[in-house]
Amino acid sequence: MKSAAIARGLASVAVTLLGLLLLTFLIGRVMPLDPVLAIVGPDADRSTYDQVHRQLGLDQPLTIQFWRYFSGLVAGDLGHALLTGSPVTTDLAGVLPATVELATLAMLIGTLLGIPLGVLAATQHRRWPDHLARVLGLLGHSTPVFWFGMMGLLVFYAWLGWAGGIGRIGLAFEGTVPRVTGLLSVDTLLAGDLVAFRSVLRHLLLPAGVLGLHSMAYLSRMTRAFMLAQLSQEYITTARVKGLTGWQVVWGHAFRNIRVQLLTILALAYGGLLEGAVLVETVFGWPGFGSYLTGSLLLGDMNAVMGSVLVIGVLFVALNLTADALYRVFDPRAQA
Amino acid sequence: MPIGRRQWLCAAAAAAGGGLAQAASESPADQLLLGMSMNNLLSLDPAAATGLDAATVACNLYDSLLEVDAEDTTRLRPGLAQDWEIAAGGRRISLRLREGLRFASGRRIDAGDAAWSLQRVLALNLAPATVWKSYGFTKANAVMAIRTEDARTLTIDLLQATDPTLVLYTLATSMSAYVLDREAVLANERQGDLGNAWLTTHAAGSGAFELEVWRPKELLTMRRAARHWRAPARLRRVVFRHMTESQTLRLMLMRGDLDMAGGLSAPDVKALSRRPDLVVDSVRRGNLYYVAVNARHPRFADEPVRRAVLRHLIDFQGIVGSVLPFYGELHQRPVPPGLPASLSSPGYRLDVPMARRLLAEAGLADGFDTTIRVIAEAPFTGIATSLQSTLAQGGIRASILPGTGNQVYGAMRERSFEIVVGRGGGGAEAHPHSSLRALVYNPDNRDAARLTNFQGWRTGYADPTLNGLIERALLEPDAARQLDLYRQAQHRVDELVGGVQPIAQVLDTQVLRRAVKGYVGHPAGATRLREVYKEGV
Repeated sequence: MKSAAIARGLASVAVTLLGLLLLTFLIGRVMPLDPVLAIVGPDADRSTYDQVHRQLGLDQPLTIQFWRYFSGLVAGDLGHALLTGSPVTTDLAGVLPATVELATLAMLIGTLLGIPLGVLAATQHRRWPDHLARVLGLLGHSTPVFWFGMMGLLVFYAWLGWAGGIGRIGLAFEGTVPRVTGLLSVDTLLAGDLVAFRSVLRHLLLPAGVLGLHSMAYLSRMTRAFMLAQLSQEYITTARVKGLTGWQVVWGHAFRNIRVQLLTILALAYGGLLEGAVLVETVFGWPGFGSYLTGSLLLGDMNAVMGSVLVIGVLFVALNLTADALYRVFDPRAQA
Repeated sequence: MPIGRRQWLCAAAAAAGGGLAQAASESPADQLLLGMSMNNLLSLDPAAATGLDAATVACNLYDSLLEVDAEDTTRLRPGLAQDWEIAAGGRRISLRLREGLRFASGRRIDAGDAAWSLQRVLALNLAPATVWKSYGFTKANAVMAIRTEDARTLTIDLLQATDPTLVLYTLATSMSAYVLDREAVLANERQGDLGNAWLTTHAAGSGAFELEVWRPKELLTMRRAARHWRAPARLRRVVFRHMTESQTLRLMLMRGDLDMAGGLSAPDVKALSRRPDLVVDSVRRGNLYYVAVNARHPRFADEPVRRAVLRHLIDFQGIVGSVLPFYGELHQRPVPPGLPASLSSPGYRLDVPMARRLLAEAGLADGFDTTIRVIAEAPFTGIATSLQSTLAQGGIRASILPGTGNQVYGAMRERSFEIVVGRGGGGAEAHPHSSLRALVYNPDNRDAARLTNFQGWRTGYADPTLNGLIERALLEPDAARQLDLYRQAQHRVDELVGGVQPIAQVLDTQVLRRAVKGYVGHPAGATRLREVYKEGV
């Protein structure tokens, strides 16, 4: 019974990913972008253009092109990227850790600030902390994240000098830290280079803070809404009548009941950060996944785009499965 | 290396302190830190690379047989070749290499490496081969025409009549003429690709710097070559960082975290030019900003319509003054200033009444609808917006279609456009033929000819007299007569109103810290950093 459910789940994931790939492939072929021109440049003559067109297999029917890609994929080969000439898997292994490092810290900041703020707003409903939280939430959610980034750079980097500038590490350290995990904060420590580690932190905190504030706004609004719904329930009144402290009522009862909903939005928010931090990556010159995907799209580098889309699909599936698994931990009804 | 508890504590302390401490400049004295867009840096293989980004990097990793003087691009200087001569009535070029040359690998450089490098360009037949094919070289004849006389002498037979000086300029300025370490490249050959895949992200040259790290669209670092045949470079390390946001480049320059930046917006350059610690350096390049119309399109097939749009409905002076400060200088003819035979601009200016008269004569008194294709980045969008406004004054309703370079030039290569705002021209060789050929020459206007590398063909306009002048000038052995023919060709362009109207010569503007010395920007993009150093840092 359990193995059948797992098999059904896996089949569903495989169909989802295949559909995603097929759709991306077709969109890529419809887009008015010519990967050949990206390689040969605008001034190449006809024979060069035709030669590269053939080399890329673009003279073949779409079905054969997709079949070739799919056959490679099954063998673990995502093809080579036009931009780098490297296997797409190598490229992704290079850019993903940069985004994971940024998005994870941002998520941490967003969660640690957003959830308590949302709870506070709900418990102080229609009082000044609630108004403040709502204004902060509105500002954080409606202000463009690149504007936050630029202002952050101006204040904390240019004026105060607290933050590092562009990139993941000071320019003078670029290329000097051996890559082990791809997470520079870890790699600098593994290399025992504390000066470089400090440079990494100085560069990481501001973009993570900017992204984190954006997440905080979303999480605080959602937490507030979930908590308000719970705090108006009869079991809360009963708990208060029984003489429980405010802390026990809020955290021990109301918050326990919104954990499953929060898990869902946390998973989605984290997935969104992993794929969608492109604006912050651009402002901060952060060589991450979003920048790689955007650059590949603009070039018409479909191998890189398809590989990236596949990774996004897998990430979302993985996050959803993780959230599903955690539902069972937090919600006894899901264990049944 | 395992980390002990003490180190973890130190790290935590460093982190805490680092968040609050006022940062000092991160630019060390022996490193040059550059910020620029590396969007177009797709390959470092001299037989595949195109564009200014690649040229900026590759000229420091590789050496060419000849170089051109950055101050006077018509003056050739020795590179790996110590001397050269033109023989056999202009049909043969011989170059004699210096003694004691070595690649970064330590292997001795000989004429065989130089010949093989050129033959390889033709064998791979990628974009850089185009210029060599225009001289009559092919994959089939390359081995016969490009050969060695001895270990130090390279001979190039010109199989079709051309001006040998033009070929020398190509040898001095084209990335395709860099000399590669044949053994290192062939050791990394994959499926008969002559090392193309490997050289995309590696280098096998003899330049003043060696490639250290390259992560596309992120970072490229070079270290001083341990044994360069010239004096060693003065900098220990050069770091190129991919950055596209003008505002962040500006902030980093102001903080002293960058030594040099390119691609800043005009307002940012203007603001930085007022700072005493920074210097603005502009270099005239060989190409031009232009407006092109498709003469095969029914709207622009009539000469009066083209004349109205290209000569009287462009606010040349306004565009240069407001959109192109630091990035363009007014020039309205195909041969840019600084090249032999360049003529001053004929003085075209916005003249709406004249344009309306011409359109009325063409039966278009009520104007018409059209589209402007433009790359969605500065300064192209600014030019297109100005053009849209002045076309409207003439009654022409133009929609702007922004896109990537790929989309805009792709449509142009397919002749499926109406108006394009673009950038092009010869660029590298300091020879009028290079510019005229790229912009206005079109020997076969049939769709089937697909001469997609010629702007003249893309705009669907050909004039046999103009083609004849350009062809005759190329083969004219007398220098004075040759210059006269090139001037005649430009006057012919003025008379005709073809498909391309130059607006401005391209300027390449960099902002540098004043402490950076010895930097001389090169008009052909080959800015060598071997003499650059930092003072008082």
